[in-house]
Amino acid sequence: MSAPPGSSRWLLRHELRMAWYGAAVNAGGKRRMSWVSIAVWVLAWTLLHVGAFAVLHKLGPDGVVDPRMAILATLALVAIGTFMLSSSLKASVLALFERGDLDLLLSSPLPSRSIFTVRLLGVVLACAALYLFLLGPLVHVGVALGQFRWIGVYVAVATTSTLMACLGMLLTLALVRLLGARRTRVLAQVLSAVAGALLFLLSQSFSLVSETAGGGAAQRTLQRLAESPWLSPGSPLWLPGRAALGDPLPMLGMAVLGFAAFMLTVGRTHRFFVHGLQEAASTARAIAKPQGALQMRFRRSLFDAVVVKEWRLIARDPHLISQVLLQLVYLVPLLFLILRKNDSPGPAIGAGLALLCSSLTSSLAWIIVSAEDAPDLLQSSPAAARTIGLAKLAAVVMPPLMLVALPLLWLMARAPLAAVLIGFVVVGAILSAALIVKWLGRPGLRSDFKMRGKENFLCSVFEIVNTFCWGGLGWLLVSLAAEQGVAAGSTALFAAGVLAAALLALLLAWLLRRRA
Amino acid sequence: MNSDTPALQLRSLRKAFGRPAVDGIDLTVRRGELYALLGPNGAGKTTTLRMVTGLLAPDAGQIEVLGIDLAANPAAAKQKMAYLPDDPMLYGKLKPTEYLEFVAGLWGITPEDAEPRARRLLDWLDLSKHAHELTEGFSRGMKQKLALAGALIHEPQLLILDEPLTGLDAAAARQVKDLLVSHVNQGGTVILTTHILEVAERLAQRIGIIRQGRLIAEGTLAELRERTLGGSLEDVFLQLTEQA
Repeated sequence: MSAPPGSSRWLLRHELRMAWYGAAVNAGGKRRMSWVSIAVWVLAWTLLHVGAFAVLHKLGPDGVVDPRMAILATLALVAIGTFMLSSSLKASVLALFERGDLDLLLSSPLPSRSIFTVRLLGVVLACAALYLFLLGPLVHVGVALGQFRWIGVYVAVATTSTLMACLGMLLTLALVRLLGARRTRVLAQVLSAVAGALLFLLSQSFSLVSETAGGGAAQRTLQRLAESPWLSPGSPLWLPGRAALGDPLPMLGMAVLGFAAFMLTVGRTHRFFVHGLQEAASTARAIAKPQGALQMRFRRSLFDAVVVKEWRLIARDPHLISQVLLQLVYLVPLLFLILRKNDSPGPAIGAGLALLCSSLTSSLAWIIVSAEDAPDLLQSSPAAARTIGLAKLAAVVMPPLMLVALPLLWLMARAPLAAVLIGFVVVGAILSAALIVKWLGRPGLRSDFKMRGKENFLCSVFEIVNTFCWGGLGWLLVSLAAEQGVAAGSTALFAAGVLAAALLALLLAWLLRRRA
Repeated sequence: MNSDTPALQLRSLRKAFGRPAVDGIDLTVRRGELYALLGPNGAGKTTTLRMVTGLLAPDAGQIEVLGIDLAANPAAAKQKMAYLPDDPMLYGKLKPTEYLEFVAGLWGITPEDAEPRARRLLDWLDLSKHAHELTEGFSRGMKQKLALAGALIHEPQLLILDEPLTGLDAAAARQVKDLLVSHVNQGGTVILTTHILEVAERLAQRIGIIRQGRLIAEGTLAELRERTLGGSLEDVFLQLTEQA
């Protein structure tokens, strides 16, 4: 059945097609979604259904009956909602600023209300998609087994995503009004990155704390909550959880709430939406305040000019910085585990610093060396490519070296031998990471930073091998400094093997290097 | 260097991307002239210019810039020229002054020489009042003017521009045209490609027409008219490109 051109359904179909292209085509315009990857997704979804069956077939027709589960379900919905809010901020920014088709739509005779409705629906779907994919199998299998209460999961996910989409869109539009389009775009990108990182750290710290406190910690907390009069499972606070578990009235209430929020947002803010777009267009060029006389700092050396230029470009890109730091955040639980599982912190510090520095250097090297904004300018200049290359490498390695200098100085005062060994490992990790990206990195756009691993698998593998080799070496060398006798001999042998592996990886990267 | 040495000399220049893009071009551009290279889309104009500026290695042929063999001595040849492609080579997160500082660094210009030139160019191109803004927020015309300032900061003897007026408003286009004429009047050489035939008709001393990677006609507008049924450059261009 085809929708009449210009109708909301027709527009929704356009929106879905654009979302599909967004998922299937990368920034370079190449198709990314092959039939193989579609088959993998279908297979994964089928397996999720099998997993759901394995869990649900043991339950009775009422599904989960423990009333305390409402508390857990509500807390899970809050966590999912926070993730969804971060997704909705990103999706709203995309809808407002990045798709570039709104001028066309708004200049057409389509009512702005329809456009906003469909665009907001798109944001709702963007927020819900992952959770529908992951939790949908529970509902399907549950319904097939006669456990109809699982339908509540769909209602809860749909309502939460609708509420978060409305909130994300309103927040984005309000920020546009307050800060202007450009700053909103950056802020939304940074906020969504930070929200993701915080939730990740929260989830990791929860699991680490649970592990520390023993397996019954969560159970005890749940019991304590259940005993409190305000927080008992019957409390209205846990209504969202009860809706997710399929209680009919809370489910109905949630569905009405989601629908009302959507209609209210559309009804009250579609003009604000158009205004937001006009703001976006009119403030595309931020006018800087006059800063007095023109200040210029021409440099005598090409080397300095390149280094300063690279640092300026990164320092003025908060979104890029947040993405780089986000990658480091994902190492934090690993570092925590390393530190916790070892009585003496020396080896853990050695491994941790090497891991952090190698990862940070790889990111910076990709940005500075591979994602050069104006390669033709450099190539058409008489400047020696070698000097530019060296300056870029210096711009890459200096920040991690400066970052690590302070902890090393502190360590030098306490344990000089360990500090020297860690210094060696960190410098090795940094230089190797920079060289690997220089040799194997492919030119890319800074905006594709998050995609760089997928775009260049070979380089990513070498980066990972490098990170873990130097991390392992850091651990082994510092351990070696404290050991004596036979144990020291075997550790030394092992360390020599790991160092050889790191150097071999570097040699291989050089042999496989891209030639201009 | 002899004053008769051409600003640019191409001999049997070839480049193929599967099929020939530039197919044995011989071209001489004299010093102090404004030469317009015209041709339909995909004729090989940009490929030719990218080879001349060292961005693309030719499959065969020779390029001499002011008597310097580009293949043998690329740095010396590049030192004397500047290239402005249709998509300006800028950094969005740099301010105009910082961009000029960087370009001056690439061409090894001393601060004493670079600073007054930068100030003069920014004033001339009406960019001084935007000197504290990041270029990512600039309009197409402002970006093009800034890239032109970058191209001129080392006072190149040969200025190569690919579609320099595309997307510029009348005022910005006028500023750019005045700057090019001024550059030629001061003894510099300009080679430009353009689809705006009126610009070539008004500004260029000589015009070359490329089609399918070959130079099919060259000369002053009067000479080109003689070869065809006459009329405007548009008539001449269409007759030549359709005949070939």
